[in-house]
Amino acid sequence: MTERTAETPTTEQGADSRPPRRARNGVSAAAPARHVPENGARASGRSFTIVAWTVLIIFAVLWLIPSLWAIKTSLTDNGVSAVGAGAILKDWNLTFASYYTLLSAGNIWNWYLASFVTASLTTIFAVLFSAMAAYALSRLRFRGRNVIFLLFIGGILVPPQVLIVPIFQMLNIGGLLNTYWAVILPQIPTVISVFVFKQFFDGIPRDFEESARIDGAGYWRSFRSIIMPLSRPVMAAMAIVTFVGTWNNLILPLFVLSNPKLMTIPVGLATVQGSYGQRLSDIQASSILGALPLVILFLIFQRRIVEGFAGSGLKG
Amino acid sequence: MTATAEFQSATPVARPTRDDEAGSPRTKGMSRAGWLFLAPFGIFYVLFLIWPVIYMVITSFFNTTMIKNGFGGFAGFANYQEMLTKPEFWSAMWHTIQFTIYTTPPLVILAFVFAVLANRAQHGQWFFRLAFFVPFILPSAAIALIWTFIFTPGTGLWNSFQSLLGDDAPLPVLGTPSIAMVGIAITTVWWTIGFNFVLYLAGLQDIPRELYEAAAVDGASPWQQIRSITIPLLNRTTTLVILLQIVASMKIFDQVYLMTAGGPGISTQVLLGLVTTTAFTDYRVGAASAASVLLFIVILLITLVRQLIVRAQERREATR
Amino acid sequence: MVSRDRGSGPFSAPARLSRRGLIRGGLGLAAGIGLAGGLSGCGSALSAGIARTQLAPGTVTYWNLFGGGDGVRMVDMQHAYEKSPGASPLQAATFSWGNPYYTKVSLATVGGAPPDVSIAHLTRMKNLATAGLLTEITDDMLNLVGLSQQDFNQTAWDEAKVDGKTYAIPLDTHPFVMFYNKDVCQKAGLLDGSGNLKPIHGKDGWESALKAAKKVTGAYGASVCSVGDTSTPWRWFQTLYSQREGNTPWLGDGGRKLTYNKDLTLDTLAWIQSLTKSGLMPPTTDYAGAQTLMFTGKSAFYLEGEWEISTAEAVPGFKFGMVPVPTIYDKPAAQADSHMFVLPRMDRSADQLKRTMGFVKFLLSQSMTWAKGGHVPAYLPIKDSEEYKKLLPQADYASAANYAVYDAPAWYSGSGSNFENIVGAQIGLVLQGIASPEAALASARQQLEIYARTESPL
Repeated sequence: MTERTAETPTTEQGADSRPPRRARNGVSAAAPARHVPENGARASGRSFTIVAWTVLIIFAVLWLIPSLWAIKTSLTDNGVSAVGAGAILKDWNLTFASYYTLLSAGNIWNWYLASFVTASLTTIFAVLFSAMAAYALSRLRFRGRNVIFLLFIGGILVPPQVLIVPIFQMLNIGGLLNTYWAVILPQIPTVISVFVFKQFFDGIPRDFEESARIDGAGYWRSFRSIIMPLSRPVMAAMAIVTFVGTWNNLILPLFVLSNPKLMTIPVGLATVQGSYGQRLSDIQASSILGALPLVILFLIFQRRIVEGFAGSGLKG
Repeated sequence: MTATAEFQSATPVARPTRDDEAGSPRTKGMSRAGWLFLAPFGIFYVLFLIWPVIYMVITSFFNTTMIKNGFGGFAGFANYQEMLTKPEFWSAMWHTIQFTIYTTPPLVILAFVFAVLANRAQHGQWFFRLAFFVPFILPSAAIALIWTFIFTPGTGLWNSFQSLLGDDAPLPVLGTPSIAMVGIAITTVWWTIGFNFVLYLAGLQDIPRELYEAAAVDGASPWQQIRSITIPLLNRTTTLVILLQIVASMKIFDQVYLMTAGGPGISTQVLLGLVTTTAFTDYRVGAASAASVLLFIVILLITLVRQLIVRAQERREATR
Repeated sequence: MVSRDRGSGPFSAPARLSRRGLIRGGLGLAAGIGLAGGLSGCGSALSAGIARTQLAPGTVTYWNLFGGGDGVRMVDMQHAYEKSPGASPLQAATFSWGNPYYTKVSLATVGGAPPDVSIAHLTRMKNLATAGLLTEITDDMLNLVGLSQQDFNQTAWDEAKVDGKTYAIPLDTHPFVMFYNKDVCQKAGLLDGSGNLKPIHGKDGWESALKAAKKVTGAYGASVCSVGDTSTPWRWFQTLYSQREGNTPWLGDGGRKLTYNKDLTLDTLAWIQSLTKSGLMPPTTDYAGAQTLMFTGKSAFYLEGEWEISTAEAVPGFKFGMVPVPTIYDKPAAQADSHMFVLPRMDRSADQLKRTMGFVKFLLSQSMTWAKGGHVPAYLPIKDSEEYKKLLPQADYASAANYAVYDAPAWYSGSGSNFENIVGAQIGLVLQGIASPEAALASARQQLEIYARTESPL
């Protein structure tokens, strides 16, 4: 947190050190000016800050409203919710009945399980395999390396959703439909991870590996004991991005998993009307429960998550 | 921090050269190691990316179905002809573009504004990051349930909002063909703005403070500073954000499937929705593949344009 | 290019959370969940998801698409089954109505993991059968639980045959019917001595009844949905069209030909447009709006499927009746579909088959509960029973099931299908007065022709 504040350029500080207007002609920018600024200049900076805060707070509150509304509804009785927004606003007898119903009766535990298993396994395989591939591209010379490199770049252009139909057919032929593997395997080749890792590895100096090589260590030892430990932050970031992406993927599990007991959370929420029907509070509670694991993840790994997405976005 | 400086100043980073000498024992071992390291990822890459693309292109020329084995009868360009002359295909194309038009400007401009303002307000950053970014990590199914509920005809929160604005008989957003897409767009902006927001924040933090201070010394107001420093320096980020947004919009599936199922009628059906309906509901894999190829071509064109723009920008910046 | 993930001190103090720690924690959590899951039954899901073990041995897996009031009733019937002696554990799931449901069933069958039994509309079930996704239902299978063909509504049973074979067991028929607001009709003089609607015949009879009603309501005589829903306008049109002598099915040769009678179609479309143009029926009203008009006394009649009986019964103090749609043309007819039980194709053991058939038999025996939701039971022992005959207003329109007209078979036809969407949308435009009958028909034809000449995937 402190790191970030130090880097952030703010005109707030600029305002304080800005020389007073009337002395503008004579004062150079280089002179460290800690005069007491004139009210005009400072007020302009200050008023902007006030405007900034106000606008931001208004929008931030606006942005929080849908989630808060869902939470409020989920804590309201089903009958009251069915009446309408006004009734929900007026009713403040909070109840956990909806959550109780869902957690005790529904398939939601199976969905949590499916999401957790598929996201975890995908992440482990994806991160490991991408790192290995990136290591090959970064450190090893072999014939055909350029071709592979270009092939991977081409892969970034292909949106995976477009391939849902052939992937389904293949999983069918392989007899993998309606298993977790149908969700895990197609999501393992994450090309962006390879490039993120590769760029990172390229930046690691080769000294350690060279001295290790002299001591007789093979490539796998180099990879495992030198490169991987040094890459922890990047790996954590990509692990998180992959985990969240897999957890939230809808289109693939939607079509390859049919049995409600095997569905991941997004698919479960999307397809099973089940015992919900007109029980609006229950529906909102289900969406909150579906979102909860990721929110908890976010609260714990905030920095990593944001860095991961920003980093991979800039790569993509 | 210091460790990095030590390393990076002491030893110049050796970039791997492109030449490879096959034959010498060292490179042979390296060659084998290279392929072995590549193999796990490569296998999945071929299985789930390369082969599906090939399969997709092949089946687009056949009448492949989901329920019979094999490729089916040869169809030549019939599937393409069908798609290119079918009103549903063009309406799906139009709706995809419509969605892109509705969402890209707000997602770029609002994200920029929020980032600039949040950048100013150092202390509450965690709060704003929470408010704007958390929706982004939620599953589409969860946010669809939340917003479908808000858009409930007659009694939803959105209706209360419309009444507040003085609209006494508000149309049901998701049930009215002409504004259903607007509802989906609003949901999407709420959901995904966090991503652009952090991209912009990251870009903002790379702008050196000295620039602002220099401008401040010259008497520039905050607005002028933004206009003359922030926006130009964020040009690269903005281009990136816009192009990422456009490509992402072309691939839209989740919100439409979840909130309107393409309806009312087909007034919100988008290309990927059409592809999956044709393949999985009508069982017509061949025709769906043709539509997928067409969609893929469009996305490819956009991405290539993006590469060209980025390349041009890089060149321009290098000569600055 | 700005790169953010390089700089923040990778070589400095180790990150707070290492990847290994993440994995260790993750696996620990997974193990924990696995344990907890095992304790609560998730274990079978885990092993099925990973190792393809059988998910629910010894149970009956049942999928349906019933939401709303129907859903509640079906759940009641399921509970009754679960309490009955000798019942197997039941795993029931409900999916969204329409294409999403059929897609799910199809994909599950193609993928080798379908439910034991599921619901299907008759019109959609034929496509599933042609696609080879269903198990044939033989007399032996029916005898397993003491059922026979004769126990069922023959119209539905015969209609459901594909290539002379049976692939489904009918649960009900749900025809398009007419509701009437008793208060408004009373004031308009449309009720007979015992408070029931006097029979209405012919176009003149219809128009005069509507005119009388309109005087009372001050708004409309009858209402039917015209926007936002494509199925209802289709049902309204198809009911009238099917009443006409000389009408031909809309699609022929499995959907490869468009075989509607052009003159009758245009004439019928022109007539229903004249009704909305003259103000006897509302030109622009959506699904909920059409019934609200009747509930609030702004319309005497409401045309929709019988399933809306639950909605009508829920309106406090509302007195209504139901009758088959009056014979306005030559012969009685009503657009309808039926809910059927189908057995998706899979390898079944003898036990599994017995369990499944036993479940179906039990639900059929609960047809009274189902009938209370407005549907006309297909299971004759219930339909012909005294109890059902006394059930009002259901008994008043039960005859409509006998002259039900189902949508023509085609791979793109059936309830909620592309066919209904295309044609229904055009009919809706005609009702709204936006398109002329000729233009609407031409547009529908143009769109259907693309489907007609597309090779059937089945």
